[in-house]
Amino acid sequence: MNLRFGYGTNGFANHRLGDALAVLADLGYDGVALTLDHHHLDPYAPGLARRVSGLATRLMELGLSVVIETGARYLLDPRRKHAPTLLHDEREVRLDFLLRAVSIAADLGAEAVSCWSGVRPPAVDAQLAWDRLVDGCARLTEAASKAGVPVGFEPEPGMFVQDLAGWRTLHRALGMPRAFGLTLDIGHCRCLEPEPVADCVVSAAPWLVNVQIEDMRRGVHEHLEFGEGEIDFPPVLRALADAGYRGLVGVELPRHSHAAPDVARRSLTFLRAAAGQSGGTADRAPALGQRAPGQRRPAGAVPAPEVLRAALAAVDDGGWLDEALRRVAADPSVISRLFPAAARRCGRAEVLPGWTADEAARAVLLATLPAERAVVQARALYRHGDAAEKRAVLRALPLLPVGASAVELLHDAIRTNDTRLVAAALGPYAAHLDAAAWRQAVVKCVFMGIALACVDDLDHRADSELAAMLAGVADERHAAGRELPADAAALLARLKAEKGI
Amino acid sequence: MRIFDPHVHMTSRTTDDYEAMAAAGVRAVVEPSFWLGQPRTSPGSFADYFDALIGWEPFRAGQFGIRHHATIALNPKEANDPRCREVLELVPRYLDKDAVVAVGEIGYDSMTPLEDLAFAAQLGLAVEFDLPALVHTPHRDKVRGTQRSLDVVKESGIDPGRVVIDHLNEVTVELVRDTGCWLGFSIYPDTKMSPPRMVELLRRHGTERMLVNSAADWGRSDPLLTRRTGEAMLAAGFTEDDVDRVLWRNPVEFYGQSGRLDLADADSPADFAGNSIKRGGA
Repeated sequence: MNLRFGYGTNGFANHRLGDALAVLADLGYDGVALTLDHHHLDPYAPGLARRVSGLATRLMELGLSVVIETGARYLLDPRRKHAPTLLHDEREVRLDFLLRAVSIAADLGAEAVSCWSGVRPPAVDAQLAWDRLVDGCARLTEAASKAGVPVGFEPEPGMFVQDLAGWRTLHRALGMPRAFGLTLDIGHCRCLEPEPVADCVVSAAPWLVNVQIEDMRRGVHEHLEFGEGEIDFPPVLRALADAGYRGLVGVELPRHSHAAPDVARRSLTFLRAAAGQSGGTADRAPALGQRAPGQRRPAGAVPAPEVLRAALAAVDDGGWLDEALRRVAADPSVISRLFPAAARRCGRAEVLPGWTADEAARAVLLATLPAERAVVQARALYRHGDAAEKRAVLRALPLLPVGASAVELLHDAIRTNDTRLVAAALGPYAAHLDAAAWRQAVVKCVFMGIALACVDDLDHRADSELAAMLAGVADERHAAGRELPADAAALLARLKAEKGI
Repeated sequence: MRIFDPHVHMTSRTTDDYEAMAAAGVRAVVEPSFWLGQPRTSPGSFADYFDALIGWEPFRAGQFGIRHHATIALNPKEANDPRCREVLELVPRYLDKDAVVAVGEIGYDSMTPLEDLAFAAQLGLAVEFDLPALVHTPHRDKVRGTQRSLDVVKESGIDPGRVVIDHLNEVTVELVRDTGCWLGFSIYPDTKMSPPRMVELLRRHGTERMLVNSAADWGRSDPLLTRRTGEAMLAAGFTEDDVDRVLWRNPVEFYGQSGRLDLADADSPADFAGNSIKRGGA
């Protein structure tokens, strides 16, 4: 798959622009989405031509492509975020800014200029707002067309034009000019589009000039790091590649500036891995769920071993893991001493969301075993493991060719009072637990104060029997003057409503 | 006052103890494997015990913000029971574990030939697994037991700086002071050693290579006697830095030799410059 990944400079708000570019180039990004702002190529400060020319040279030296973003919060008005927009009375201020952006984009050789509608001011009625928007976009598109830089208009949740349907309407109102394209934010699709994310990509593809990407949850416009939301990325990236999209796919995490270099590193690792294994989880474990494309990803969905291995490339272990995998492949029995050493050798830093280096390395070691040895070794490593090793075995089970034969390990883990083990037992492999054992384990989580987010497939699997058990817990808690944890209370309320209890 | 108790049998203690220890400043402990009062009769019960020392007990300690590490060995008393001999074959597996920071408790109880065998074999494991060793000295015939322990240590070829000779007193301290081994003192309510006597020993022998522990277990003992010893040191004119050295930096230095001590977030004071091994920082 031949996608080009970029990163938004609004996620590097605490870096000088030059430093941010160097960090991103070092990490291996192909480009940047440059948000013009008071501290990043201020279009209103003196010496603009010189600065633009210097930046163009720098981008070329670093081999970075660029798109221009215009979503700075307080560049035009220090008191009102994003104001004025094309919808305000003072819309000429916004238009002047957008035209400057177009000419900067042309000088930088940028691939697109991105913009949005803004939120409709309460004092401006919908018709007037629409007329202003169409007029502003028409003038912008004309300038962009002359400059040879396409406009990427971005639907933004909460704004006047907030979805693909709104973009299509606007596009038609403008006469469908070629220079008026679409900036598609993948997370926004998950947030509010009626179609699955990959389907949005397919339908938007012909007009796509810019793509922003991050994780997100349904109904919550919050840009999340990969793995923290609900999006299954491999099919989305596959859809972009299959559609022939050649622009940048830019990570958009404007609230992660405090940890920008780490977040950028993790994000690229994730995206490359997701682009490399675009078969999707359903291909690997069809027995565990018959989900429609784009349907909510399971809480504990397990990255393929190749993805974990790729993510571990960022860990400086002096070549230990490579050598360990080679040895295990040659002689499976040596895993018994390599498995406990993984944390000391690879560390415990997070390499993918929800996966620390030690757990990822242990999962990869297990996945390297020949199929006929996998279940025997998994049992032995669990039996003789410390709590971290046991947890790693439990989390790796869905990756191993063991069918349901290791389910006894889940029973053992659930018998303990160690929250780490109980939580790890309720990942995707818990699909092999029978309903009674699974319900008991879920209720045990409630008792132990374990967040129910660890329970894979909870929404699907929760039934009226579980509701009855939770109601029992709730009654006892109420009698003692205590409450259920919020997540359990919400689940119980939902089940009551759905099951008509 | 931050306290690292380098020898305490938390398996035998209640959560009240954990709570009181945390309140007293105990942030890290090492729990050596030892006997349990009731003799064990099969290797299986050792395996479950060892598993608890690297599984359940660290989890319990963690609930009180206390870092828990362990030492693993077949102890000298049970080394005499032929039904438990196979435990020696279990031990290596545990010496690979992250939270196992030494081989121990090894040494003598009654100085029998079987104890000789187990002691020497397990010192060999300490060398093989590159781990420090925790040597228990006997309650009976203590002087000769200590002397003989030192001889076995010397014969094994292990670096004496990686060995602690534990449960010392005014008499046995003299035997160990110049051997290069570390010196362990177990502060008990009324037997092995008391806080005032410990202070006197520190005054006489200095704070270098001195380890103070509570050795609290299932018998009459008190996990707060580390704290009481620190207070007695201050009352006797030792500085806070002296107390920190004895109750924190010394045990960190000794067990840090394992390369496995994980005190991330437990050693927060900025002035700390000991040799804790922080891992997992990418």
